[in-house]
Amino acid sequence: MKKLSVIFLVLFLGMNANAQDAETPRDTSKHLEEVKIIGIAKRKIETEMKMAVSVDEFLASSENISFIKRGAYAWEPLLNNMSSERSTLTIDGMHIFGACTDKMDPITSYVESNNLSTIDIKSGQEGSLHGATVGGSIDLKRKSTPFGLEKKFSGAYQTGFEFNNNQFYNLANASYAGDKLVADGSISFRKADNYYDGNEDEIRHSQYNKFNTSLGLAYKISPLSSVRVEAIFDQAKDVGYPALPMDLWLSRAIITSASYKQLFEEGFVRVWDTKLYFNAIEHYMDDTTRPENLVHMDMPGWSTTYGLVSKINLQEDRYSSEIQLNAYGNTSIAEMRMYPQDRSKRTMFAYSWPWVTTRYTGLSMNNSWEISDKSQLNFGGSLGLNYNYSKYVEFNWIFYPGASQKKNRLLPGLHASYELNINQFDFSVGTGYGHRAPSVSEAYGYYIYNSFDRYDYIGNPDLKNEISYEANASAGFKNEKMSIEAKANYFHIQNYIIGRILSLGSPMNYQSVGVKGYTSLDHAKLFNLTINANYDILQHLHWKGVLNYARATDDKDGNLPFIRPLSYQTSLHFMHKGFSVQTSLNGDFKQDNYSPEYGEDQTPAYMIWNISGDYTFNIKNVKTVLQVGAENIFNEYYSTYADWGNIPRMGRNIFTSLKFNF
Amino acid sequence: MKRTIFFLAVCCAVMSCTKDKTDYEAEIDTIVTEHNEFKEAFAINSEEYKISIEALNGTFYKGYNEIRLKITNTLTNAKVNASAVTFLPIITQADGSTISCPHRYNLQYMSDDSYFSGYSVFTAESNTNESWQLYISFTVSNQTYTVKLPVTVQEQPNKNLNMTTFTGADNEQYFIALISPQKPNVAENELIAGIYKFNKPTNSPPPGTFPDPSQFSYNEVSGYTLLLDPRMPEPSMGNHSSPNNKNLTQQSDGLYHGVVNYTMTGNWTLNLIMLNENGQILKGTKVPGDFTPGVEGAKSELYIDILF
Repeated sequence: MKKLSVIFLVLFLGMNANAQDAETPRDTSKHLEEVKIIGIAKRKIETEMKMAVSVDEFLASSENISFIKRGAYAWEPLLNNMSSERSTLTIDGMHIFGACTDKMDPITSYVESNNLSTIDIKSGQEGSLHGATVGGSIDLKRKSTPFGLEKKFSGAYQTGFEFNNNQFYNLANASYAGDKLVADGSISFRKADNYYDGNEDEIRHSQYNKFNTSLGLAYKISPLSSVRVEAIFDQAKDVGYPALPMDLWLSRAIITSASYKQLFEEGFVRVWDTKLYFNAIEHYMDDTTRPENLVHMDMPGWSTTYGLVSKINLQEDRYSSEIQLNAYGNTSIAEMRMYPQDRSKRTMFAYSWPWVTTRYTGLSMNNSWEISDKSQLNFGGSLGLNYNYSKYVEFNWIFYPGASQKKNRLLPGLHASYELNINQFDFSVGTGYGHRAPSVSEAYGYYIYNSFDRYDYIGNPDLKNEISYEANASAGFKNEKMSIEAKANYFHIQNYIIGRILSLGSPMNYQSVGVKGYTSLDHAKLFNLTINANYDILQHLHWKGVLNYARATDDKDGNLPFIRPLSYQTSLHFMHKGFSVQTSLNGDFKQDNYSPEYGEDQTPAYMIWNISGDYTFNIKNVKTVLQVGAENIFNEYYSTYADWGNIPRMGRNIFTSLKFNF
Repeated sequence: MKRTIFFLAVCCAVMSCTKDKTDYEAEIDTIVTEHNEFKEAFAINSEEYKISIEALNGTFYKGYNEIRLKITNTLTNAKVNASAVTFLPIITQADGSTISCPHRYNLQYMSDDSYFSGYSVFTAESNTNESWQLYISFTVSNQTYTVKLPVTVQEQPNKNLNMTTFTGADNEQYFIALISPQKPNVAENELIAGIYKFNKPTNSPPPGTFPDPSQFSYNEVSGYTLLLDPRMPEPSMGNHSSPNNKNLTQQSDGLYHGVVNYTMTGNWTLNLIMLNENGQILKGTKVPGDFTPGVEGAKSELYIDILF
């Protein structure tokens, strides 16, 4: 199946015709390096509209991804309209888990666009290479410069300012590509004040402040083997979450890995890549910025993960295969401490994640077999063992007396798809089956306050595995002037995990209205349909449009929450010599299928118009790009279906950016 | 090599977090001291016999105290198998009047460890105007010995062993004393309490020997029920309660057993309603179940506060 990352390669520089090249089979060591060189030129983290995007903005440009937004920072990506528990989120295959019980820190918030090369999104069971999943996988690929480039030193510096929220950023990265030694480094600062909505009202507590740096060193120990060590350090401070009752004082992540790669010039096995990794996240919420809060609370969280990922690539004639071993262990700890009004009295303490250990070991395999020049069969699967242990299981016993302290789960997954290419038409059909284990919050969460529906959530350690049955299909047509493609997928998910009101207990957080427990619905059904089209109106004028439709219901045919209403995106792109102008229109229709039962209200339709222009020129040998643009030109006041607490989105935003490549 | 060192250094740097994790168990220990060891609290000699009274931590506290009485022959240093061992605590109040407190009058002999087992629910701490005396008698070889032993009762620092005294709707005097858990956790806790009643004397005290046990008679009530509704009184907790609690009913040990769930550490109020064997309310009122942030939760007429 075509990698979705290909979509991101379609850049405003008009290289879309070459997009398939990145798919070139990585045959030999020689080829591998060459492919990478091509890859670097094209795989840029930028959208059609903006060349200096945050990781979130970049992900938002993918048609499969929607977001739950709790402010201007750290959006939670939803793949196929499923919450982040249902997808595997990894950085170069490394598992990382956020340390915030309120999902203030999806792992996409711990990287920066200038240390990534691309984001690899796979839908459904095709994404099971990195571990058991239902919704799919999002793998953030780090930049890694190949050995022995002709140009030894290269780098980029980018700075910019956005007027709506006074965001000022500086991003720099540099690399050295020697014959034996390669080094990649990046550093970035972003700082933003509160943003203003379409009514020119300030959205308080929407500021952020982020620092990110990364370093990667690789050394060639023989012509066909290399070792690499990498580290990312990320720190966010004083980040506001307007939709939540508290902000972030500090979050820090250190993401490290050491890997060994061996290439083979001949034989069935082509590449063997093994990596050991360790990452640690600390996350401290802060409510002292909210004097209106009745109760002062500390909510620190820690998440530590170590793991191993080892992958071999096999190739024989028309058959190729990837086999990957994933093993990781994670400990998630979250505390809450409430302070009494009379501070001399005893504080009140509980764990919202009672020291939960997760261990996963799994073997995954993806195979593809080119049956003929016109058709290809992809198939694969994964088998994983998931183990959970709750150190303070007595917390969980309060709601579920006698629940298991240790839990082993077997997580199988299977998928197959068939691709057919007849002249200018492409077709594919596929199917999948897979299990996932409940997340730490779903299984062991304890009084986790959800400010969207205003309930305290309680996990159930003995929830059944979620089981997904999936079918997908696509059809496309392409010629020199245009292309059109429709893609659809359908998920029937057994034991769909969602919060239901418990008739037990009473709220703990003062804003809360009741207690919900994560429970398994008998089943839920999700359907996603995407149609996208390209048309080259003139040699230098291109049109692109995307239409998304989704529908999801529970076992009683009620609506599921956070399902994107019918939405569209259409853009025009004109370029001439160094100049390029693009404009886009995107929006959602009125949300008809909302779910009051799960705390949703109806979100009205909105439409946003954006425009930007850039100019590329050379200052000596330095390629320089200057960009100016505006988002939400009509200054529309809107919030989307997935904006936590209906927090209004940003109003008109003028952005400028200057980038030097050397 | 340098890279490895760098990598290790980075790893070490991360292992230390900005804020320390809470040691939750140690934190409870600073609030609640648990005593598990019986030590000699008081001792007195009567002729050749030494009477030693053991209590947890060697101290009598206000509230429920399990008591172990040992009698040794000081000449032979052997345990004495006495019979008819009785135990009667009496407090002399500021005005000179004397009352007792719930206790076991006839101690039970525990042959395994050769001691006499009893309890006393001291209703007040000793102070300059009020003092406790134990009246103990026993029989060895058909000879009855009687001793009077002044003791001090200290304040119970552990609020999980609190007690309360009240007059029921039947005009009788009742005592409820918490016995277990000494040290609760954020968990399901088995809650054990004793419920005692003062048996009003039907005869006037006979002249002569003091004290007359019939004037100081208490018993464990049987067949009663304590309806339990635990809540956090702190205003910011808005009358927070917990699920899956079980009312206290009498078990074979004569004590009342139930289940209380504490959802977090801190101050809790055990709101109680006491029903007699016929299900009639003797004391206690139902508290509102509303979640009322910012308002201190209302308490039942009958309640015991705990803290951990």
